[in-house]
Amino acid sequence: MKALAEAAVDAALGAGASYADARAVSLRRQYVITKNGQVDDLSDSESEGIGVRVLVDGAWGFAGAGRLDESGARDAALRAVDFARAAPGRHRTNLAPVEAHTGEYRTPLQRDPFDVPLTEKVDLCLRAEDGMRHEGVKVTVAMIRAQREHKVLVSSEGTNVEQEIYECGGGIDAYASSEDVSQIRSYPSQHSGVSGQGGWEYVEQLGLDREAPRVGEEAAALLRAPVAPSGRTTIVLSPDQAVMQVHESVGHPTELDRVYGTEAAYAGTSFLSPGDLGSLRYGSEHMNITADSTTPLGLGTFGFDDEGVAAAREAIVERGVLRGFLSSRETAAQLGAGRGGSMRADGWARMPLVRMTNLHLEPGEGSFEDLLADIDDGLYLDTNKSWSIDDKRLNFQFGTQVAWEIKNGKLGRMLRDATYTGVTPVFWGKLDAVAGPEEWMLFGLTNCGKGQPGQEAHVSHGAAHARFRDVEVGVSA
Amino acid sequence: MSRSLELAEAALRATSGDEAEVVVHAERSGVARFAASIVHQPTLIENSVVRVRVARDGKVGWAATNRVDGESLTNVAQRAAEAADSARPDPDFPGFAPPAQYPDVVGYDEETAELDAADQARLAGAAIEAAGDIGLYGIYTTGVTEVAVTSSTGLAAEQQTTDAVCLCLAADTEASGWAERTSWRAADVDPAVPAREAAETAARTRGGVEIEPGMYRAVLEPVAVGDLVRWFSYDSMGAQGYLEERSYFCGRIGEQAFDPKVSIADDALDAANLPRPFDFEGTPKQRFPMIEDGVIKGVVWDRATAARAEDGHVSTGHATPDAWRFFGPLPSAYSMAGGDAESSAELAELVGDGIYVTRLHYLGIVDPRGGVLTGMTRDGTFRIREGKIAEPLVNLRFTVAMSDVLGEVPGLTRDRLLVNLNDLYEERFAHAALVPAIATAKFHISGAGSGPGL
Repeated sequence: MKALAEAAVDAALGAGASYADARAVSLRRQYVITKNGQVDDLSDSESEGIGVRVLVDGAWGFAGAGRLDESGARDAALRAVDFARAAPGRHRTNLAPVEAHTGEYRTPLQRDPFDVPLTEKVDLCLRAEDGMRHEGVKVTVAMIRAQREHKVLVSSEGTNVEQEIYECGGGIDAYASSEDVSQIRSYPSQHSGVSGQGGWEYVEQLGLDREAPRVGEEAAALLRAPVAPSGRTTIVLSPDQAVMQVHESVGHPTELDRVYGTEAAYAGTSFLSPGDLGSLRYGSEHMNITADSTTPLGLGTFGFDDEGVAAAREAIVERGVLRGFLSSRETAAQLGAGRGGSMRADGWARMPLVRMTNLHLEPGEGSFEDLLADIDDGLYLDTNKSWSIDDKRLNFQFGTQVAWEIKNGKLGRMLRDATYTGVTPVFWGKLDAVAGPEEWMLFGLTNCGKGQPGQEAHVSHGAAHARFRDVEVGVSA
Repeated sequence: MSRSLELAEAALRATSGDEAEVVVHAERSGVARFAASIVHQPTLIENSVVRVRVARDGKVGWAATNRVDGESLTNVAQRAAEAADSARPDPDFPGFAPPAQYPDVVGYDEETAELDAADQARLAGAAIEAAGDIGLYGIYTTGVTEVAVTSSTGLAAEQQTTDAVCLCLAADTEASGWAERTSWRAADVDPAVPAREAAETAARTRGGVEIEPGMYRAVLEPVAVGDLVRWFSYDSMGAQGYLEERSYFCGRIGEQAFDPKVSIADDALDAANLPRPFDFEGTPKQRFPMIEDGVIKGVVWDRATAARAEDGHVSTGHATPDAWRFFGPLPSAYSMAGGDAESSAELAELVGDGIYVTRLHYLGIVDPRGGVLTGMTRDGTFRIREGKIAEPLVNLRFTVAMSDVLGEVPGLTRDRLLVNLNDLYEERFAHAALVPAIATAKFHISGAGSGPGL
């Protein structure tokens, strides 16, 4: 793969590119999904190819070829140069300097998930499904996934790095329904569960079969639960929902390509501007957000991003003030600050974009019970069910699978169909407590969409329980 | 025989006597993505994916590869067989689709297929130039896709399609407008047209103001209608959501649930849509009505859901590409009947007092069974006063029950627009909604967001 990537870069430079990089990628994915006691999907897919990115007279070009051979590499390089040469507009692209790394990175793991027999995975899914069976539960689903990505990045500036990254994950869902109500309860997170970077041991520690009875019972109980109230109240978000809040209202708006408008037509822009760095009050003093591409088990953990920038841990928000953006070499150069380090591509056929890596809400102190103790009347909201946020990442509305009322510092009745809404910096300004490190949990999502053509990024977020005062809840049609 | 069908036949031979199905999905495409009137993310893709499904004693396994040499095809067939061996017998497995007669459809255009990177860049440039002084953001893309399906039943089907899409956001820091065009013939997509429309809309959005939340009468342009129908369909118009009791249609088939002027079908045979002769199991396409004259008629099916229903349902030809398998069968060539109105301006007269919505953003399903969706408006939201499109508004959050939105529809435009629904994830699968602009008596605004513009 290295030789092919080097040949592609040479071909691009020979054709007139002033800069070129080539990523040779070999990807394998496996899914086991069972539904209602039957195997619904048992699939094993592989994809390999090379993506070549070039700069010609300041214009980008990118081409991907779905084969790892010399002609594919050269062909992709020449097509990328042709496309860049044809691109209309006045181009001026500068890249922040990068140290030319030549290292390797491999996911630390104990057991290769592809060595685990498929039958063992099917058995685990079916056991978990059995545990969810409960009166009122009409559909049970269990899923396990594994992924291995082997990639080599070579650039005309001397970067030559090789990485082998393993992911594993799983989750369970119970769908309950009555005559006119339909509810879902999931573990460890919404829909497709969670994933982490690691071996089979990651799936084992999830305890899908252990948690299944609770998930089934809660799904059935939701059918009888009252609808969550409307009004303004104090809410506590579970770590699972808090990471969704971080993802949508901090992660995306701090992507510097959105700030500069290059995602405007599709994913949208950002309410932030470059001049906000170091001064904008994003939230309360309890709000500390870190981007960390070194987090153990994180889906956004790597040795080097897809521009060859080494992994690092960096502050995004400190004590409520914006301290950093997620950036590429190009956007860092535009800003005149930062070094890139967040460029990631979805496979060989896509151009790298500014993406989240691992973005965390740092813990505060105290326990979940401590957070509740201070609330006379409020809602505890767990596990995302629906999400929507505007193109500048300001106005959001989330729904959760389940809520519990909080009365006099204690959890009360279960409630269904809970929603809450707000405006990003106003909402984060109402954060008045985050629980301590002992409650901090990491969640890995595999469905973060962006770009045209579309790309799905795999990212992780950590958070503990978080309390927000005076929030609008209960939006209905 | 296309190269994709040859590949599919070769992969089927590699399954060595198993009950098997092979789907080949190949693409050659170019996307010239532009921002601030500069092409900044140009992407050229060439790829063929071979998916093999093997059934052994009712146990089913899948494997896929984009390596297409003989050894790799043997390997993918073996992996599919291993996956099948690891599964459990599925009593509802319906077997693979039998050979069939396919409808003659258009949908492939040689001139579109021949467009190369230089053409895509040039046509993106034409859009940029037509927008004038305001910045243009979006894509111009064309592609050729081939889908071939073979199976041990003797089925051998192939289709070649083309598509051309131009999506245009004209915007600066205080204004934004949207327009788009899609067709299977690039000649039908003049990039200058949506670029000019987007710029004209943007010019009217400066100084957007807030309005109070509440129920409003509204005009929804086709782009907004297409998005609403698509999101409503995810849980409600496919057999999986129906069988799993998440669909708004549960218990309502045959019911007059919507305004009699509302008819929504899936029609991949219509030359005005993006035509296809068969689905991803090789079942022939057909025109299938989901809602007719406001009455709920049914949901779309693939072979697996039809077998699971155990009540005589058969596939309606709506098996989806692999990337959508999680959702089960879904429509992909939405077709909503038009009405009598000559224009959106005429719909505004029917609305009288209300709001005008060009485009929606980031929809979410709040309550699938209740058909409740949320999202934001963007790139052209206006007040309607005294039957005229009036001052611009900020982006608005809506939380709507589709039974409200489609429950009372004072009018629809006669003309319909083919609205792109393809976000270009995974393998290219061009799909769209042929829809009119509509007037609705109920569109619930639940909050306000940022102003128009970047």
